[in-house]
Amino acid sequence: MRSPFAYVPRPGPLQSASPGAAVAYLGAFAAVAFLYSNPLVLIATGAAVVFAGALAGAGTAVRAALRMGLALALLIVIVNGLVVDRGETVLLRLGHWPLLGRVDVTAEALAAGAVIGLRAAVAMVAFAVYSACVDPDRVLRALRPLARRSALTATLVSRLVPVAAADAARLRDASRLRGPAAAPLGRAAMARRLLAGSLDRAVDVAATLELRGYALESRAIPSVSPPKRFAAALSPFGGGKSCRERSRFDRRFYLTGALVLVAAVAGKLAGADGFDEYPTVEVSLAPSTLALSLLLLCAGLAPLRRRPRRNPSPGAVSPPALTEVSDA
Amino acid sequence: MPDLATATRAGPPLAVESLTYIYPDAARPALAGIDLTLAAGEFALLAGRSACGKSTLLRAACGLVPHFHGGEIEGSVSVAGIDAIATGPGELAAAVGYVAQDPETQVVSTTVAAELELPLEMRGAPATARARAVEEVALALAIPHLLSRTVDTLSGGELQRVALAAALVTRPQLVLLDEPTSQLDPVAGDELIWLLRRLNEEWGVTVLLAEHRLERCLPAADRVIAMDTGAIAFDGSPRDFLTWAQAHDTALETPAARLFSLAGIEPLPTGVREARQTLGLRSSAAAQPGRPPRQDPSAAALAVNDLWVELSIGDASRDVLRGVDLRVARGERVALMGRNGAGKSTLLRTLAGLVQPVRGKAEVPNGIALLMQDPGDYLVRERVGDELPGEQGMAALRTVGLEHAVEADPRDLSGGERQRLALAIALAGRMEGDELPGLVALDEPTRGMDRARKHDLDELIERLAAAGAGVVVATHDVEFAAGFAERVVLLGDGVVIADGAAADVLSGGWYFATEVARVLDLPGVVTPEQGAAVLKGAGEP
Repeated sequence: MRSPFAYVPRPGPLQSASPGAAVAYLGAFAAVAFLYSNPLVLIATGAAVVFAGALAGAGTAVRAALRMGLALALLIVIVNGLVVDRGETVLLRLGHWPLLGRVDVTAEALAAGAVIGLRAAVAMVAFAVYSACVDPDRVLRALRPLARRSALTATLVSRLVPVAAADAARLRDASRLRGPAAAPLGRAAMARRLLAGSLDRAVDVAATLELRGYALESRAIPSVSPPKRFAAALSPFGGGKSCRERSRFDRRFYLTGALVLVAAVAGKLAGADGFDEYPTVEVSLAPSTLALSLLLLCAGLAPLRRRPRRNPSPGAVSPPALTEVSDA
Repeated sequence: MPDLATATRAGPPLAVESLTYIYPDAARPALAGIDLTLAAGEFALLAGRSACGKSTLLRAACGLVPHFHGGEIEGSVSVAGIDAIATGPGELAAAVGYVAQDPETQVVSTTVAAELELPLEMRGAPATARARAVEEVALALAIPHLLSRTVDTLSGGELQRVALAAALVTRPQLVLLDEPTSQLDPVAGDELIWLLRRLNEEWGVTVLLAEHRLERCLPAADRVIAMDTGAIAFDGSPRDFLTWAQAHDTALETPAARLFSLAGIEPLPTGVREARQTLGLRSSAAAQPGRPPRQDPSAAALAVNDLWVELSIGDASRDVLRGVDLRVARGERVALMGRNGAGKSTLLRTLAGLVQPVRGKAEVPNGIALLMQDPGDYLVRERVGDELPGEQGMAALRTVGLEHAVEADPRDLSGGERQRLALAIALAGRMEGDELPGLVALDEPTRGMDRARKHDLDELIERLAAAGAGVVVATHDVEFAAGFAERVVLLGDGVVIADGAAADVLSGGWYFATEVARVLDLPGVVTPEQGAAVLKGAGEP
């Protein structure tokens, strides 16, 4: 069974963008989530990432990440409510608990937990969109000139994890098919068998890598200085990029990411992050907060693909028809 | 690194001299005194029984032996003028492509395009050269529509084509293939062989192909090299090979050659076309009956009614079985056939309770023992007796004829014995005394088997059916099905599209028909023995 976060190739702008552009765009939202505590900004950031994922066709990944993120957020709310006794609005007095002492659940502690949980949920959704929309092969290609061994490890893991998962599923089926009088298959025996199978698989995959020329890599990669290699790897037009992987959407995502970051820093300086948990919850709804939230929501629409313009009617005098609108 | 541009013009695609190789810790050499030269543009078939050294020879030709496997090697191996023993497989890969049996472990990237680009990228090819090479190889192998797909969404046939494309993208002089069709259905298998022939003719690629299903490859081959216990036992033309096989190892005969051999007709044909040309239209006799049916219609081993099964595939769900109705009687031997993805394995898994149907019922009144594709999945302990303890375990071992191997380590058993042991594990406790469960099901049991081992399996199925079990075998192997089955059920897209006597179903088509059926084109004639009887009858006044 495929993971809901697995990469699925689609012709959308976010999928065709370079890994650097996708990281700049989605990373900007994650940065905002960690910079800000204002619930309105966090909700707007979360909504923006959900929009981005939905527009990029990663609805399955977004839903799975939301389920996990909100479950984690709930857990954080509960734990924070139990361990933090600051705040003036006591909702529940739960008496003395072992290790925790006197437990008073306050509305402020729950709100503080909700903010931390929301932050984690936004980061998880952003990562889920990245995972579902960014081609791991392109990431590895960008990584290879910088860290060859790490790229090799990542290549092996990215191939062996799904293969090992398939092996485990087959072993589970085989264990269910054993006759009732056959020796039962315990977890330890299953784990041993899975490990042995994985080692065999690893040998096969390693042989394939050898045949593909992985051992040649140190000679194939031009000997340039690490800073130049780093710059080339991150460049939208460098890093051993394939002709097949050119994208006209890179500029859009780099610009949107930069805009979100600049606005977030400027908003922080202008007081858009007004939020106090204790002693009572106070949420700022200053114009700068509202403006930043609106900008974040708009930034979530960046993966939107505009419809191609219709060809002009026959006989009309016009420039040559475009089948797709250029971003430039 | 050798200068490959000049090296590829410096010698024959493959030259092996006095090659002897022994794996680490092995008792005897896997290759012994091999001498072999392949000329440019040859299509050579490597034949031989299991474990005769075919795969080791291919691995030596691509540099994996000894560089990857270790061991001791003597003699010389030269690929397009490059010394394969001194040079690693990575450097050799510009001159030789290698495709192994299991396509799953031959891909290392997420998408097809990246997989094809990887060998060129590793050699520092510029982006424009990589793009062109990927485009050309994709067009040559008819897979441009797969380029943007992720490899985990491909079928076995598609994956094997991608592996072949990745081996060919560097435009090597020589391509080596180790049983590439063993996991493919007859349609995909035939397509792959003729694709290789086309590449051989149009690109001039030299092909060395190891296969067990010789009838599929012999018509495409220029030359056959037969191996026996690590040495070359025969090297010559396909027609001479058939004459040699007739005298030295009948397990290597193709069905059409065996048909001619039994009927006393010369020359032996290398394929259906030659056989038909030789025979003309001289046969028109009626079919001979195959094995007599054994089933007891009153005792149902399986009753399937309007069975629908839905599975999640990628982001979507699909009805894999669509209203299947099927009855199997005790003692009946049934072959379940159909192309990859037709629903064969899903049907067997549903019968065994591994998959729940969304509609309909599958009843196995006296229980089912299912042996899945890889017997190794059942073997987890280091002693056969530990896998099957007690009297019930012993009864299961007796049923499969392995009672003598109680103290053995499963890893020391032969491939066929491991398969029988796995079946015994599935049977243990499902038998009453020595009485079998109502249904015994086997999923693709002949994968990678030579004909001798298939014969042993055929005998085991015969014994299980004689003991009262209905036996259902999902298989792509039409020749094997013609040998053991009295009935064939053909699935297509989750629907039963043919259900009848094996002789009728396997003689009524092209892909799901035996070689003898394609030669004679007579209803009900599918095996060499049946065909020879017909030909002898037609020859008589």
